[in-house]
Amino acid sequence: MCRAIKWQPNKTKALRPVAHARFPTWQLLLLAFLLTPLAAPAGVIVHPDVEGRSISTANLRNIYTLRQTLWPNRQPIVIFVLPDDHPEHVAFAKEKLGLYPYRLRQTWDRMSFSGMASAPIEIKDENEMRARVRATPGAIGYTSKDTVYDGIKILRLE
Amino acid sequence: MTASRFSGWNSLLLGGLLAALPVAASDLSGPRYHIQGFAAQGLIGSTNNRFFGDSRDSVSTGFSEAGLHGTWQPSDAVRLSGQVLYRRAGESDEEGLRLDYAQADWHFFRAETTQFGLKLGKVKLPYGLYNETRDVPFTRPGILLPQSVYIDNSRDLLLAAPGIFAHGASVQAYGAVDFLLGWVRPDFDSESVEYVFLGNTRPGKLKGTGAIGARLRWDAPTDTTLMLTYADARADYSPGSMDSLAAGKVRFRNLLATVQQRFDTLTLTAEYGEPRGNLSGFGPALPGNSRTVQAFYLQSEWRFHPAWELMLRHDLFYRDKDDKSGRQFQAATGLPSHNMFARDSTLGLRWDATPSLMLRAEYHHVNGTGWLPGPDNPAFFSREQRWNMWLLQAAYRF
Repeated sequence: MCRAIKWQPNKTKALRPVAHARFPTWQLLLLAFLLTPLAAPAGVIVHPDVEGRSISTANLRNIYTLRQTLWPNRQPIVIFVLPDDHPEHVAFAKEKLGLYPYRLRQTWDRMSFSGMASAPIEIKDENEMRARVRATPGAIGYTSKDTVYDGIKILRLE
Repeated sequence: MTASRFSGWNSLLLGGLLAALPVAASDLSGPRYHIQGFAAQGLIGSTNNRFFGDSRDSVSTGFSEAGLHGTWQPSDAVRLSGQVLYRRAGESDEEGLRLDYAQADWHFFRAETTQFGLKLGKVKLPYGLYNETRDVPFTRPGILLPQSVYIDNSRDLLLAAPGIFAHGASVQAYGAVDFLLGWVRPDFDSESVEYVFLGNTRPGKLKGTGAIGARLRWDAPTDTTLMLTYADARADYSPGSMDSLAAGKVRFRNLLATVQQRFDTLTLTAEYGEPRGNLSGFGPALPGNSRTVQAFYLQSEWRFHPAWELMLRHDLFYRDKDDKSGRQFQAATGLPSHNMFARDSTLGLRWDATPSLMLRAEYHHVNGTGWLPGPDNPAFFSREQRWNMWLLQAAYRF
């Protein structure tokens, strides 16, 4: 904030390279920040009528960026997510999708506010996530626990 | 939903919204409805010129935005969506509440990773990276969009219009490709658009007759986005009473190129356009002419913390590519040359305090008055070439 207000226009050229030069250090700090408070890696869960036992990282990313909208058997995909700042969502986005949560949100906002697609359905916690995935044909979600639950299928990530 | 609800944009949208409310909460079998919205308030201060209200050496509270967006899927292949928008921007936008868009989208071909569809209604116009969601504060790179490319003075022309678009999208190993191609009846009928094309507000009416629009987007696996947008719009002028202008014609063409590269937490974006306007048949008071605007910005966004983002942008706008300094314009009209250009250096900071609350601060140093809003600064000769502006904005979403 202070930086924004104190900034003088004639220093434009001086400021820009500084910000970029510092980037690698900050990147490490950011990674440390992202990785420390996290729970165990999330697993991908789907409704039992979804075919197959595994899913590729590319497919998972296409699904969560709203580019793949149907399962191979042509059933519509229904996507569930936890809130953007939920540790399990942060872990899933970063480790399974290779995307920061804010980039996912940018894509969802762009697609949904322009009327091209629906953003994933956001739910409060992992219990509700499991309940919704179990009850919704075509559903996909994620959970931190590797426990086997009745009525939910766990997909192996290729 | 019955067919009668299709009779007007408003009833279509309201019908969709109302039908959605009671069902959405308890429906576990599939999400057919979704409602989302936002509200934002800005504070603006500036030196020498005014922007969105009485901001000069003072604080303007005249920039407010709020929207309610609804989507309803009566079947897997059909999506109805629309947005009601409230917007106030100083003297430049006093319209308040309006229907932003309302469209029906039919996906007539759907495979696992490829879709083709048709959307019709009052449709959002594809233009560059940000136009379709330009009023949703969370989707913008700053409080203000780069004014060179997304000039707020002609926003009415760019927003949405009745028409039809074909679209398609496919994701493959080489990345994701999508296109839009369509025809609309563009909205030239607003004071600020008249001001842009005819140099002033006129007693007659400028009416859009038709426009074609196309956009091709490629998201490469290297986290690169490349995009081309093309638009070709025409309008006819019907003179009013005591009008010095004859029944002339306006043609507006634009090709906009977009490049975005994402590196981990850093995003670099550049967009370049050369909008061209032609006037003909307006009589001696407004000789026919053809002018090419040049618009370009380079922007970097750096997410240095999961909730914080720094933005730096340099934005260039020349109203006449062949008279960038405005000297010829000044010699011909006697008006200040700085009306013909604007170079804006912007520094912005974004804080996502919670997933639903965003706070932003932004500082602009501007050389030139090329996109300075006319209605906020009616007196040509009291506009000053160099001016600064700071903005604060709080935005909430649900």
